[in-house]
Amino acid sequence: MKFDVRDLARIAVFAAIIAVLGIPGAIPIFGNAVPITAQTLGIMLAGAVLGAWRGAAAVVVFLLLVLVGLPLLSGGHGGAGVFVGPSAGYLFGWILGAFVTGAIVHAGHRRPTWWRTALGCVVGGILVIYAVGVPVQAFVTHLPLGATALSSTVFLPGDLIKAVVATLITMGLWRAYPRAFGDQVRVTPAAKVDATVR
Amino acid sequence: MIALYRPGTSPLHRLPAGPKLIALMLLAIAITVFASNAWYIAGASALVVAGYFAAGFGPLEILRQLWTLRWIVAVTLITQVIFLPLPVAATNTGRVVTVVMLATLVTLTTRTSALLDAVERGLGPLRRIGVDPARVGLVMAMTITVVPVIAGYAASIRDAQRARGAKPRLRILVMPLLVMSLKHADELGDALVARGAE
Repeated sequence: MKFDVRDLARIAVFAAIIAVLGIPGAIPIFGNAVPITAQTLGIMLAGAVLGAWRGAAAVVVFLLLVLVGLPLLSGGHGGAGVFVGPSAGYLFGWILGAFVTGAIVHAGHRRPTWWRTALGCVVGGILVIYAVGVPVQAFVTHLPLGATALSSTVFLPGDLIKAVVATLITMGLWRAYPRAFGDQVRVTPAAKVDATVR
Repeated sequence: MIALYRPGTSPLHRLPAGPKLIALMLLAIAITVFASNAWYIAGASALVVAGYFAAGFGPLEILRQLWTLRWIVAVTLITQVIFLPLPVAATNTGRVVTVVMLATLVTLTTRTSALLDAVERGLGPLRRIGVDPARVGLVMAMTITVVPVIAGYAASIRDAQRARGAKPRLRILVMPLLVMSLKHADELGDALVARGAE
């Protein structure tokens, strides 16, 4: 996969968007009381908007910046600690999750549709992330796999809401600024007219 | 953006970043796999505390770092207690905290720029599959400079919506944020192309 300079700029900006979604107070989500993060919304959007490869690259860049000690995870967390803690697997799962989301939403280089975007966000943004995160959490905390999987369902309702929001935003962005989706998706004349009218 | 690094001149500060990261990963895995009884964990945590003192951090810093782990502790302990007897749950939680505190020590004693260099060097072998470490470094640097720009967009969107009396909601905030940010990405890409970057 070869990225051109414009791709690099999009990747950098999306990595920054994921970071900003984690700044406490920047994004209102459940009153900031609980450590629930809007950052998985950023993961879904990275895949849905940038596509599989560029979306995954944006997540990798974001995670590398966290690794080198920038407090970019929600709640000001960062550093090497988060990569050895219970949630390490979810962070690694973000990479694959963004990739799968992008692969589904941009399947066949077609324009995103409602059902494909929703499916991509649920499969890539939730199922794939849990599939990587739960076994690693079980490994780190020595809790049996079944029990870990069961306890992780606590976060499922929030993630489903995020998948709905990510779908709405992706389809809205497609109407408002189709250029954001890059050259990967062929912009139809109708979409172009749509964009200029708005 | 304030990095998590704390300046100092201890032997731990002077260790090169790359080997320190590799040693951390090996130690973290070793503790996670083998430390299954309370005595091992007590020994390991005593070593980690000794490490903090050797790096010139007092008890106050240790407590401050433990406080940032409160959510990890709470979530781990609660899920463990539901499924496992209390002593086992406490042991497992203790081990998780020890490993994360060890990783945090590496982050606290290693300059962000040194870690960035180590990451870039560590990506060297990936050149064979087409990853250019210099480009990864460029994107990471771009992301760091773009984060404040995107955070500024988020703040101005929030203020504008507040001025209009709109209730802060995730979707109506992220939607314009994406449009503004991705327009910025395209301008950034155009600027890079105009300067002959590729």
